[in-house]
Amino acid sequence: MKSLLATLALTTALTLPGLAMARPVTLTTTLNNYGGDGAYLALYVTDTSGAYVGSLWMAGGKSKYYEHLSDWYRATGGDTAQVNGITGASVGAGRTLEITLDLADALFDAGYTLHIDAAVEDMRDSPNEVAVPLTTDGAGTPVSGRRYIASFAYDM
Amino acid sequence: MKKTLTLLVASTALTAAIGVPAWSAMQSPPDVLRSVAALFDDAPQAMPLVLASDDDDNDDDRWRDGSRRGHDDDDDDDDDDDDDCRGGARNPAPAGTVAPPQNGLFGNGAPPQVQVN
Repeated sequence: MKSLLATLALTTALTLPGLAMARPVTLTTTLNNYGGDGAYLALYVTDTSGAYVGSLWMAGGKSKYYEHLSDWYRATGGDTAQVNGITGASVGAGRTLEITLDLADALFDAGYTLHIDAAVEDMRDSPNEVAVPLTTDGAGTPVSGRRYIASFAYDM
Repeated sequence: MKKTLTLLVASTALTAAIGVPAWSAMQSPPDVLRSVAALFDDAPQAMPLVLASDDDDNDDDRWRDGSRRGHDDDDDDDDDDDDDCRGGARNPAPAGTVAPPQNGLFGNGAPPQVQVN
């Protein structure tokens, strides 16, 4: 009985921090009416030194076009394992992409930056279209992109 | 008897004439074979290098011809399964089919949810 209680206490102690260390975050990206095909978007995170940490989302399923997401491609070497399970369809002009992810709390207020690279067929590639620091204060504040993205915001 | 001997000598000579060069070629280092082969390969390869114009220089910011999707419609779906690979590169697993990567960014909670409006 005693050992059962000890086991239960241990599993609870191990599980609770895990639940508390992540939260659902919604990333909302609205594209301009740029008059082209669907845009490929790579959402990824860098640390304080600008080093690639990991990817959050890839809009566009065909890896042969990833070289046009040039900053992401340079950081990852085009490794599709980086975006396994976090890849969806490309996003049409004027559309809004809304992604809800369970993100680690440690990502916020720790010097991390979220970047978006964008590319459209027969149009200019746009690396680092958006670069926004991940802070709790910055949540809900829309930022504009350089070429294809009308606005981007994260909410939690 | 003489006839048989002649036939044997002739067949041995023929075998040696064909077999010895082939055998010695097999024993040569691969680099030698490659360099000899390169002499013959260079000529046909040289032809495509002659460019009539420098149009390609201005296309760095566009999706190259080889990268085009092959259709001109404006839909934004990528569900079709045509020409999925180039040079053996595999497409990533779509969301919902496998867990997100273990890159330290994701918790262990709900799977990603996506919506396009």
